[in-house]
Amino acid sequence: MALLQASRPKAPPPPPAPTARRRKLRRSFIGFAFMAPLLAVNILVIAVPATQSIWYSFTDWTGLGPADFTGLDNYRRLFGDPEFRNALWHNTLWTAFFLTVPMAMGLFGAFLLSRIKRFQMLFRVAYFIPYVVATVVSGSIWESLLSPDQGIGNGLADMGLPFLDDVNFLGDPDLALGTVAFVNTWQWWGFLVVIFLASMQAVNPSQYEAARLDGANLWQEFWHITLPAIRPTLMFLGLMTVIWSFLIFDYIYILTQGGPAGSTDVLGTLLYRTAFANQEAGYAASMGVVMGLISVIAVSGFLYLRRRGWDI
Amino acid sequence: MTTPLPRRRFLQLTGAAALGTTVLSACGTGAGASGNQIELWNAFASKDIENYFQQHFVDGYNKSVSGGNSAKVRMTVKQIDTLDRLTQTAVASGSGPDIITTSGPAQTLSFVDNDNLLPLDSYVDKLGWQDAFLPWALDTGRFGGKLYALPSNLETLSVYYNPATLKQHGWQPPKSRAEFEDLCKDAKAKGITPVAAGNAEWKRATEWHVSWVLNTFAGPEILHEALTGQRRWTDPVFVDAIALLKGWFDKGWFGGGTDRYFTNKFTAMYEQLASGKAALLFNGSWTFSEITPYFGKEAGNDATWDWAPLPSMNSGVPAGVQPLSIGVAFSLNSDCEHPAQAAAALDYFLADATRQLGYLSATGVAPSPVKMPEQDFPADIDPRIKRQYLQLNSAKNIGYTTWTFWPPKSDTYLAEQMEKVLTGDLSPKDYCAGLDKVFQEELKAGKRPPLPDPNGA
Repeated sequence: MALLQASRPKAPPPPPAPTARRRKLRRSFIGFAFMAPLLAVNILVIAVPATQSIWYSFTDWTGLGPADFTGLDNYRRLFGDPEFRNALWHNTLWTAFFLTVPMAMGLFGAFLLSRIKRFQMLFRVAYFIPYVVATVVSGSIWESLLSPDQGIGNGLADMGLPFLDDVNFLGDPDLALGTVAFVNTWQWWGFLVVIFLASMQAVNPSQYEAARLDGANLWQEFWHITLPAIRPTLMFLGLMTVIWSFLIFDYIYILTQGGPAGSTDVLGTLLYRTAFANQEAGYAASMGVVMGLISVIAVSGFLYLRRRGWDI
Repeated sequence: MTTPLPRRRFLQLTGAAALGTTVLSACGTGAGASGNQIELWNAFASKDIENYFQQHFVDGYNKSVSGGNSAKVRMTVKQIDTLDRLTQTAVASGSGPDIITTSGPAQTLSFVDNDNLLPLDSYVDKLGWQDAFLPWALDTGRFGGKLYALPSNLETLSVYYNPATLKQHGWQPPKSRAEFEDLCKDAKAKGITPVAAGNAEWKRATEWHVSWVLNTFAGPEILHEALTGQRRWTDPVFVDAIALLKGWFDKGWFGGGTDRYFTNKFTAMYEQLASGKAALLFNGSWTFSEITPYFGKEAGNDATWDWAPLPSMNSGVPAGVQPLSIGVAFSLNSDCEHPAQAAAALDYFLADATRQLGYLSATGVAPSPVKMPEQDFPADIDPRIKRQYLQLNSAKNIGYTTWTFWPPKSDTYLAEQMEKVLTGDLSPKDYCAGLDKVFQEELKAGKRPPLPDPNGA
């Protein structure tokens, strides 16, 4: 029967009746019409400024008035600029840190939480609360906590634990970037816990039961069942981490403004300073384009792997 | 299953959405005044100061022109540290307020270069500005022979101290480098921070120190030569000045050490001065509007403060140089619909000495650089503030603050890269070479603001 069906040539579908075609067109039109306002806003606030930025990156625009086309001058200058290289390096370090430390903390926290039933919601809320605190508020709180005069180190010293006394976390160029990353992690990792936990809860419990019957320990359960099962979530958050890490601005600006001595300068703070303090908006636009390109490369890599059949 | 929308309903929905988008986009174009109004964007250090300005300047002006068809001023208050950026963005998009507040001559110049400002020359004689303002101060708003900005605040750098602290340790406000260094050594030995300093809240505060050291070590004459291109910033006198400042930081005299300097806040600095934990504070006249809450009854102590002129840090440079600062200026947007009335508002805001001194007396905020005869000072003004402004009004030994007289990129370089000098990542020689490179480019491009002569002419 199946063979017969396969060997018989299929008749072409009948052309849609005029009324059916009109209905289909109308449906498509309505669909696009509903999309139109959002599309218009996106064109207005994203596509137009993005196109303008690309154009300005090839000019000597000061941020005011007309701009003269200067070809690739800004890009040539960019890659010979030690300030840019310094900022790019800090963004790279930041990305590497956020792809590892908070991700590991988030995974570990979520895995442990997935193992408990009582008070799970309490912990989830407790971990998530920092994420909903405004950056400017948490930044200011941590600035006080890390103060060498009235902060944690000072308080511990008063209690007879002087190991952090006189450590100036935000004033020492060797510690400042790591300190800002730590503060951002404090806010960020709870979010990762909640997302990973939601993903872990979708894993079929029978897989764990089977593994336990086979004598798997906790680590083996995590490595061979949990991690493969949540790989799409992990990859997506990894991708977003790369993108967000190259866009980081708020915590750096609030806590150190790129200082001391450029030790926490990232592309965002450098771009802001270049555009507004140095009045070199064209040059700043070229930095913005490079930041955008980095995100495009990350997304392209992600899509490429998906097309190659990776389950992400 | 989808239910088709009736055509009329569909058109209503899409029309409303399109209108919403248009309104949204219109909201994004900035705040130009509409109708019979003059829009002013301004920023203040505190609510009290804002209220005073609103009541005595904005409301005062609006009452003075009440009736008829006169345009009224509407003031919108912005964040003090973002006002210049907001204004730049708004003006770049072809909107912005009628009265443009700039952060001094360097930013004014960028607006002038792009034809965003109206020349004010026709009002100079009409409103008597030539007689009202100090000549050099009015000149800071002249570009290409035309007046584009009226200076809004006159400030300088001085040494602030607690007289009781100095008396207790047998010190005097230093007049020379030797006296300054002796005081610092002694203070350090006694566990007192010689100079309260920090830039945690205002990163650019580092340039205050660069400014006063350049003025007191190289001197105004040599600075004038460098600013006019007759001397290079690689000159040993500038390298030595920066090396001297770096050496003082290395000794822990400023803010208790370089790393502490980067996290010290103004609150802590004023408290240290009041409590005797710090001996001196090199700061600008804006101190008058900030220092009061930390001293006396309001702070729960009996401490007092005073100020002294800057010491001389090099032979041949007289003590008491007064680096001039114009940190704010007002201009008119070239799109201003009521230029004559907006100019009259500027005149009301800036040109009246009595009104300016009343503002100074009530809030400590720097007055505009108008001529201030002694009889115009209010009877109840703080004598320490009066002394500074009387001296500043007749200054003949004037200097140059970096944020007023350096071009924008050089100014940013000077502030940002000095941090690297302080941390040892950049040598004073390389710092000066870098400054020279940036400055010569900007000088050649005509980016340097107008300069008064060092003798105050």
